[in-house]
Amino acid sequence: MPFKIEFTGMDELIRKMDKLPEVAAKVAAESLYEGAGVVADAVSGAVQGIATEPFKYAKGGKRRKPSPEEKAIVSNARHGVAKFKNDGNTIQTSIGYQKAGYATLKGKTKPVPVIVNAINSGTSFMQKQPFLRKAFSKSKSAAIATIQAGIEARADQFDLG
Amino acid sequence: MPEEYTSLVTALKALYQGEGKNKVTLPMAEDEWTTRPETVSYGIVALEFEVDALYGDNVKKCTSYEGSVDLYSLNRDGAGWVPLITATLTEHCEGAWSLNHHTYERETGLFHWEWAFQVEG
Repeated sequence: MPFKIEFTGMDELIRKMDKLPEVAAKVAAESLYEGAGVVADAVSGAVQGIATEPFKYAKGGKRRKPSPEEKAIVSNARHGVAKFKNDGNTIQTSIGYQKAGYATLKGKTKPVPVIVNAINSGTSFMQKQPFLRKAFSKSKSAAIATIQAGIEARADQFDLG
Repeated sequence: MPEEYTSLVTALKALYQGEGKNKVTLPMAEDEWTTRPETVSYGIVALEFEVDALYGDNVKKCTSYEGSVDLYSLNRDGAGWVPLITATLTEHCEGAWSLNHHTYERETGLFHWEWAFQVEG
């Protein structure tokens, strides 16, 4: 995204260039947070679309759908935008269930991400419902557009003119 | 059904190992197994949802679809099917694929690979 820098002397150029990395990181993080929010909202919506059936043991090589209890765990679990990581060149985040903790299902305590993975990618005894992949793929264009719009809206913060 | 997907399914179903009489095919089903095959390895290929579309002249000109290929194997190395499946995906999906998930099921002893791919329709 191009920006034009205007300056009247070397002192002003140096002052503006010194300030640029800090402002750019702030603007990038704020815009990224807005874009990540679009994806996180898509995930929250996609959870509601998981098809379920009452729990049954999968027998004879047939696979079962997730049970309503499993869907309830996934929809009530903590999910959203993770803490931002800034390595100096890039700002990264992730959206998912990394810190969703544990849940008790049929007397067994299991990590929520394992249940999410089992529903999203399927197992040899459970049909897959790729709700995460669907949310990520479908909201990708909207998230990129939101990030770009966020940066453009904050162009005045760069104070480059 | 997108042509790219049809050719991918045909190629996956035709996967083989060895030559001549020792030819071993990989049981590969579309969408779901009615009864899971009693083999060391088996696979599933499915076209799942529409990802994006390109519109022109008020009609949908081009659509991209996402799907997945699953491999279940009792062998840690996938009984040699992993490189064959990735090569098939590269050939038929123009490189638009990624390994999405790889896990081990303690209950069944099966290793599971899941590749997500996108095709144009």
